Amino acid sequence: MAAKGLKGIAPVPSANDFLDIVLSKTQRKTPTEIHKNFKISRIRSFYMRKVKFCQDCFDEKLGAILTEFPILDNLHPFISSLMNVLYDKNHYKLALGQLNTARHLLDSVAKDYLRLLKFGDSLYRCKQLKKAALGRMATIMRRQKDPLAYLEQVRQHISRLPAIDPNTRTLLICGYPNVGKSSFMNKVTRAEVDVQPYAFTTKSLFVGHLDYKYLRWQVIDTPGVLDHPLEDMNTIEMQSITALAHLRACILYFMDLSEQCGYSVEAQCKLFHSIKPLFANKPVILVINKIDVTRPSDLSPENQALLAEITSKEDVTVQEISCYSEEGVMGARNTACEALLAHRVEAKLKGSKVKGIVNRIHVAMPKARDDVVREPFIPEIVKQRMAAGKKAYDPDDPNRPKLERDIEAEHGGPGIYSFNFKKTYTLENEEWKQDVVPEIWQGKNIADFIDPDIAEKLEALEREEEKLVAEGFYDSDDSFIDSEYEGDMAEEDVNRGKKKISSMKRVKSNHPTLPRVKAPRSLSNLSQALTKAGYDPSKIEERAILLAKAAGAKRKRDEDEDEGGMEVDEEDEEDWEDDGEMEVDEDTPRKKLRTEKGSRVVAVDRRARTDRSLAGLGGPEDIVKVRKMYAMQAKRFRRTGKKNEADTHIPDLKPKHLFSGKRGFKADRR
Amino acid sequence: MATRTQFENSSDIGVFAKLTNSYCLTAVGGSTNFHSVFESELADVVPVVQTTIGGTRIIGRLTAGNRHGLLVPGSTTDQELQHLRNALPDTVALQRVEERLSALGNVIAANDYVALVHPDIDRETEEIIADVLKVEVFRQTLADNVLVGSYCAITNQGGLVHPKTSVNDQDELSTLLQIPLMAGTVNRGSDVIGAGLVVNDWCAFTGFDTTATEISVIEAAFKLQGRSQQAVIGEMRDALIDNYA
Repeated sequence: MAAKGLKGIAPVPSANDFLDIVLSKTQRKTPTEIHKNFKISRIRSFYMRKVKFCQDCFDEKLGAILTEFPILDNLHPFISSLMNVLYDKNHYKLALGQLNTARHLLDSVAKDYLRLLKFGDSLYRCKQLKKAALGRMATIMRRQKDPLAYLEQVRQHISRLPAIDPNTRTLLICGYPNVGKSSFMNKVTRAEVDVQPYAFTTKSLFVGHLDYKYLRWQVIDTPGVLDHPLEDMNTIEMQSITALAHLRACILYFMDLSEQCGYSVEAQCKLFHSIKPLFANKPVILVINKIDVTRPSDLSPENQALLAEITSKEDVTVQEISCYSEEGVMGARNTACEALLAHRVEAKLKGSKVKGIVNRIHVAMPKARDDVVREPFIPEIVKQRMAAGKKAYDPDDPNRPKLERDIEAEHGGPGIYSFNFKKTYTLENEEWKQDVVPEIWQGKNIADFIDPDIAEKLEALEREEEKLVAEGFYDSDDSFIDSEYEGDMAEEDVNRGKKKISSMKRVKSNHPTLPRVKAPRSLSNLSQALTKAGYDPSKIEERAILLAKAAGAKRKRDEDEDEGGMEVDEEDEEDWEDDGEMEVDEDTPRKKLRTEKGSRVVAVDRRARTDRSLAGLGGPEDIVKVRKMYAMQAKRFRRTGKKNEADTHIPDLKPKHLFSGKRGFKADRR
Repeated sequence: MATRTQFENSSDIGVFAKLTNSYCLTAVGGSTNFHSVFESELADVVPVVQTTIGGTRIIGRLTAGNRHGLLVPGSTTDQELQHLRNALPDTVALQRVEERLSALGNVIAANDYVALVHPDIDRETEEIIADVLKVEVFRQTLADNVLVGSYCAITNQGGLVHPKTSVNDQDELSTLLQIPLMAGTVNRGSDVIGAGLVVNDWCAFTGFDTTATEISVIEAAFKLQGRSQQAVIGEMRDALIDNYA
């Protein structure tokens, strides 16, 4: 059954409640204050809004009802005809139709009055029009009292219908009243259907479920059926007939040969024949109940002949049961389930869907690809337990082991109890278990030193590496070199390797190393190095001194020239306000880096090469002109106290006088 | 026996637990209920260890292991590593793996003899898997999914693979792994087998949503009732067709 859709219908209010809901909502959600000295357009729109809102509310609520109630023709045939039987299709359609008409009427009333309101010329007239509009809508709605009441009843009844799934595996129990249908249902499921010794105890369909063969089965208990024409059947019987007609289920036709139910065997056989057309294409089981009282063999010859007439047909299986002594009950259930399953599987195998699940019913068995035996690993203790058929843990056992859950419950429950992670440690010494191991010790991560043999392992690795180097493992591309030479190379490599390691050890201090080009280079260093290497540095020293002198003289000349050039501007200096810092500071003497021995160190010149404030200007007259222009335009900002045109700073964002008291329209003006 | 359970209202218990033949890891949750489910079944047989990996609870997806060893991702902290080392038996090798595909549980599916791995896994990692877990390693996909660890569960007794795995692929994989294989689902039709199921050679835990039919398929696939896969499935054939077709 489309459970959510059918079961989830919202309650339908009665006509009066409906009105109260809509009118109070209109009152709550539209403006309420109006004065006659307002503009007439405002008064009109005030009342038009009320009328429109009211109509919208009606429309929405009725629309919800109309969409929530199912259209019978769109439902599964079983549910559709069950609802037809229970609620009368015509009546149901009529009720929904009436609500639909009411909706249209409400729409047109609102439309008319909105049109009239456009011509309302005073508050009073507008108000009267609104009143009339709401009044007419209320009248229309009040007339829907009956359909609303009916629909509410239907809704309540639908929500109490059993959740029957028309497509699943179903066993359908049917037969005369009082033949033991409900008793059987109670035996095979946990539905707990009421069983009483009078006819028509079961007045509607009941559903129960059972598990068989890894599957869930639905059992439907139907009210008893009497043998008379379809037209004469009452609603209770018709429910059974509907179920029989529309559900593709296994039919269990119950018979009571003891005639305790009040119907003769002959009548029961007759009923079977008259509802036989409904059993077409379904597995049918003839269940003979109450065999603790009468067995088929106890019957008179005439009755036996009648029974044989039914059983002789090949597609009817006979099961003899007694719900009282429980004889054959499970057998009947299993036979019914098997028959239905076989029937359904046969039908499904004909369909195309089965191809998609071939892989789900396939077990891929391995073909041996080698001689290795891959045994499962099941501990001895588990094997013993399996052999003994014992469970690992029995919650009912008083001596059961204490679980973490129990300990938690004893210590205040989740959120309060904190689990001791160290409890399960398996260490050499039991006492070590709870030891606190620091994460960091003397600035070092403990985990990095956790391996006691780390030094040995490192040494072993180094030794292996040296050996590999010695064997010439790494110089594969020097293969053309003859073997003698190779030996020398290898030795040298070893030495170099050692050196590398020692140099690496030396670089322990964490200082940045300067690249060679940036390092200070001095003549004395050079000469020292040369002397050490066995060269005579005197010639180079001489030359260097000569060059340094020449360079020094040149720079002196340049500086003098620069100073002379700059003097021109010096009188204008005060005119510049901001750019003072741009001027290169000429007074501070240039630092000359000298070592004690007097050799000169090359220093990098970081001064700006040109004065960029004068870039692109022609002569001194241009400079004067530009400075004047700057002074002119800077005047404006000086006046407003701004730095420049990019300065949009507002000193007080929310001045008190603009934001206190009744501010009216000027709130955003300054 | 298969047991239904859930971790804090989630049926994807394979995300929060790791089970092998020699140990069981469970995630740290708000209460110890989840831990106790494993404890009740396994406590007297193998150590059941609560842990986090890299501070997270998704330990089942981050770790891979079998009876011989446990691989943890690079995100595992030194303390977690130490905790695991202390709690696991000495016969279980523990190794941290610096692998780009750091959810090792998703990319590795292993029993005690063979392992399926993601096709793009590092060569070095592959070697580590072979050495630490003592398995043959095969790069494979399952029904065109590269996450082999997520879409299958295997033990020494059998395996359950993605429901869309074709019959041919199943046969091929079965020969590769040398165990019987079946295609199936867990958690009411979920195809992420690894996430819904944790299993070893003698017991299984499935998500709470797993149906009776799914449980019986799982018990058949992993030979938990002691009967051969073919016998059980032959018996269940009709039920399976009726349920799925």
